[in-house]
Amino acid sequence: MKTNSNDNDSVLIERVKNGDKGAFNFLVNKYYPRVYASLFSYTKSKEDSEDLAQQTFLKVWQQIESFRGDSAFFTWIYRIAINLAKNHFVSSASKKQKVNTSIEHAEIEISSYENIEQILMHDQSMIQIKEFINNMPESLKTAFTLRESEGKSYEEISLITDTPIGTVRSRIFRARESIIDYMQKEIIENE
Amino acid sequence: MNDIDKKISELYDGELDQNEIDTLLEIIYVDQKLQKKLSMYSLAGIASSYKNNQVVSIKSNDKSNKSLFSNIWLSNGLTAAASVLLTLTIVNNADFSRMDISSSSTNQISSAINSKEAKEVINKSEESLADYIMKVINDPNFMNSKESIDLRNVGFLSESITGSTYSRGKENFKLRIEKNNFGLNKIRYWKHGNKMIYLVPLSDGRAVTIYGNVTLSTAISIAKSIT
Repeated sequence: MKTNSNDNDSVLIERVKNGDKGAFNFLVNKYYPRVYASLFSYTKSKEDSEDLAQQTFLKVWQQIESFRGDSAFFTWIYRIAINLAKNHFVSSASKKQKVNTSIEHAEIEISSYENIEQILMHDQSMIQIKEFINNMPESLKTAFTLRESEGKSYEEISLITDTPIGTVRSRIFRARESIIDYMQKEIIENE
Repeated sequence: MNDIDKKISELYDGELDQNEIDTLLEIIYVDQKLQKKLSMYSLAGIASSYKNNQVVSIKSNDKSNKSLFSNIWLSNGLTAAASVLLTLTIVNNADFSRMDISSSSTNQISSAINSKEAKEVINKSEESLADYIMKVINDPNFMNSKESIDLRNVGFLSESITGSTYSRGKENFKLRIEKNNFGLNKIRYWKHGNKMIYLVPLSDGRAVTIYGNVTLSTAISIAKSIT
């Protein structure tokens, strides 16, 4: 069980290094929205962000051996993404490059989710979700925020809130479920 | 509640036992709904620390120059670099006049500053600064330093176990020290939502980043107390 919030992904990363596509698939789904959001804030283009996000994860798959854990995993991915974005703008040829061929060649599948990308592109949707989080019951909001915004481990949250670790697990899960439920009903279905 | 969903939430946070991971990964790998749920968890996390996506670079106390430097970060990196180039030129010209350097040598130096090579150097350093600030904003773990610094002499107490968050009444911030100072010789600061990001070069060649709701003078006091 992890106690250090900076090595959350170390077990999965080791598995990816051993060719575990399931672990890679998990990490892609975990980080795709954050990579997409970073790229969108840089490129301001839906299509470019989607292409670059896919290229980013392709590179992650190809270069995972070089990740030594000196920085947080997302920092490493982020660096790849931004470098790709910079090259994309510098080289007009790369703009026309299709990434699908390379991905097929790598035999890995990188999905993108239209609904999620739509939400990430709209300030108003993000603000709505944040307001929902702010209005959640205090116990759920505290556990969720300590985890997501402060990067605390469950054990740290348990100590800070003086709550059993099992309760922390449940609260974070319940918070996530209620946020997802809100996103589905109030944002995605209303689009 | 669905037990698999709860396990996914725990694996997402890196809190699941090794022996439970195998089965769960296999289940998720073939189930696109669960994969989407995972991305929705990520989206919820992004939304929780969302600050209307506006980063404003604040460069000058001179109101007449203010419009030059507002709303440049993230929206357009190249524009940002160009604006900074303007800033450097203005600052350097002002310094030359104070030092009473002849106009011909000023012109020579100005030409050097505005040369293609100089612009490239400045653009590169600005790109690296832009990257850095984006990391501060976008990566929640980036500012979580393991190193705890005693800031009681400026009235701030470390409030988290990892020691990266400090508070004094309603003021709070995160702090990170870099081994290099990005070539800065003066403090730079940006506004992000209702927080500020200060990048302060230290006299020993390092730089400290302070991210939170503190004023410029407080940030300077904090940086001074570190050196």
